[in-house]
Amino acid sequence: MSAPSPTAAQRSVLAGLADVLIAEGCGMPAASRVGVAGELLDRCLEAAPVLAAPLLALLDEAPSDAADAYVRCLAADRPDDFAVLSTVVVGAYYLSPQVRDLIGYPGQEPSPLTVAAEPDYLDMLERVYERHPGYREAP
Amino acid sequence: MRPDLERQAAPASGENSVADVLIVGSGASGSVAAARLAGAGFRVICLEQGDWVHTADYMSATPEAELAWVQRWNPDPVARRNPADYPLTGEADVRPVMYNGVGGGLVQWAAMWQPLLASDFKVRSLDGVADDWPITWAELADQYGRVARDLSVSGLADDPALPEMAAYPNPPVPIGKVGMAAARGMDRLGWHWWPGANAIASRRHGALQACQRRGTCMTGCPENAKATPSLTHWPRALAAGARLVTGARVAEIPLDDRGRAIGAAYLDSDGVEHLQRARVVVLAANAVGTARLLLLSASARFPDGLANSSGLVGRRLMQHPYRTVTAVCEESLESWQGPWGQNIYSLQFAETHPDRDFVRGAKWMVMPHGGPMFAVGEYHDAHRLAGFEALWGENFHRAAAEVFGHAFAWGIQAEDLPEEHNRVILDDEVCDSSGLPAARIEYRLSENARRMLDFNVARAVEAAEAAGATSVMVRGLWPTGIGHVLGTTRMGDDPATSVVDRWCRSHDVPNLYVIDGGVFVTGGSANPTATIMANALRVTEHMIDERSSQEVPL
Repeated sequence: MSAPSPTAAQRSVLAGLADVLIAEGCGMPAASRVGVAGELLDRCLEAAPVLAAPLLALLDEAPSDAADAYVRCLAADRPDDFAVLSTVVVGAYYLSPQVRDLIGYPGQEPSPLTVAAEPDYLDMLERVYERHPGYREAP
Repeated sequence: MRPDLERQAAPASGENSVADVLIVGSGASGSVAAARLAGAGFRVICLEQGDWVHTADYMSATPEAELAWVQRWNPDPVARRNPADYPLTGEADVRPVMYNGVGGGLVQWAAMWQPLLASDFKVRSLDGVADDWPITWAELADQYGRVARDLSVSGLADDPALPEMAAYPNPPVPIGKVGMAAARGMDRLGWHWWPGANAIASRRHGALQACQRRGTCMTGCPENAKATPSLTHWPRALAAGARLVTGARVAEIPLDDRGRAIGAAYLDSDGVEHLQRARVVVLAANAVGTARLLLLSASARFPDGLANSSGLVGRRLMQHPYRTVTAVCEESLESWQGPWGQNIYSLQFAETHPDRDFVRGAKWMVMPHGGPMFAVGEYHDAHRLAGFEALWGENFHRAAAEVFGHAFAWGIQAEDLPEEHNRVILDDEVCDSSGLPAARIEYRLSENARRMLDFNVARAVEAAEAAGATSVMVRGLWPTGIGHVLGTTRMGDDPATSVVDRWCRSHDVPNLYVIDGGVFVTGGSANPTATIMANALRVTEHMIDERSSQEVPL
């Protein structure tokens, strides 16, 4: 059975935790600013449903007024739980078109390849051929 | 045969009538056998525990392509949680990964196409370790070329590190900025490298479309540019009359009173047991699955497992222990772009050298580096000791800024010599979704392999620096393997020390064959699919040639 969709309260908690992991800096927005607790979260959990139940359990458990301490506690003492939280936050963050634009990532888009008649590595390959002793013969 | 199985035996005619050849597994080797046998007029039935995988099932053409690795298209069945997979238990230094479905492991593979070295077949004679194969490189030369054509391989023959071979049907895929950066480093060091051969079409060819460089090869090609049996072999096999039964989990290979295999007992997806009769049974379920099935088929005649008079079924498991060295460069390499096969490879350190403290060697291959999730993941792994502050918060963005689009990885694939304590056995407690015992893996990395990896990683760091890397990230032994499982039903001339003969027929059961990677005597350092498929073709054609002398059940 699939996990229920996160509630508004759970999303609010996630937004706070996410900003501990991904804060504004280096010209990049914080996680909550691009909506990691909104539609991007739903897309992330649909892509990896296995994350939903453990994430919701964490969001129910997390204190609403001590996000920083809670995330650091997970990182230090509960690596499996921290992996769930960080995978969701990072995965959702990089689904954001705004973030992708900022880092120059078009996604895994098609880009037809061109096979050159004379690849520009041929001179290097010639040197491989010249210096190689040949394969090791077997009886 | 068990009386309850006898009652479920298929009728003498109709779609479930006796097959000339029953194949267990529809992947690399099973699909080769099915297409060749059906084309020669044999009545072929293949049982596959998984389902068809359709191009539309892949997530590769969606923005969520990187998230496909988390679960649905994770190569590790434990993470994937697909009911068609069977559990893999045990405490192993390296745990096998695989895919169960039509096409088997070739659903999720990087399509790297690499024949073995000539020396790989004779390591006992040359290096005094392990065992020689009963066959030579030359006995596979023709088949290497033919299966490469069937899979629309793109590559450049004439690598001086390999014996002469047929030209590949397509020119190599461009090595890209990633490959050029790595090649320049190897050129500066005077080390061997060669443009990668891949079962990825650089132009429209056969059943494949031209590669579109999505870089999602491992999670499924949405362009149908990567070879997989559902494109390259099964259409031909089915058109020739072969029958492929999906959702069929084989539980036992039963025997008649004279010790010949009579077919396979299998459970369908509703748990109903069937008996499919056959004159000849061919196991092609990979080195873990086939060993598991033989052990599941223990009987009064074979109390230690079917075809196991040697005691070697399940033993000598080899996996190609694997590490990576990632070069981070100043220049943009557009390294999220594919294909995610091998841009270039190196056999510089693949052979034994008297000055090293290990025997045999490793193959290296350069791959792209994926999207930003990969970049962050690898950066965090490399800097895991730096502490929370260095990796998260405002500093989170450093990983993508430094690594994303600027990195390539040298994969270091070590030869794994056979050791009898590395093995597949049946789990006493855990079962699959059909109630059959899981495969338990016992595997320890050898000291020889550990030294080999350490040496090669150190050289790969030098290669990364020679390529102009501004920083280098080194990963330890991958705890989940790379899908190369070999050696658990080795071939050989002596029934006391091997499970199948040189034609991959069981020494113990005259109408039982094993044609997957389990028959490898040693593993070499090459990606094994080219050899698995070439050997399957060799064995299948011998089976066809010798059909009149094949013993079959009455």
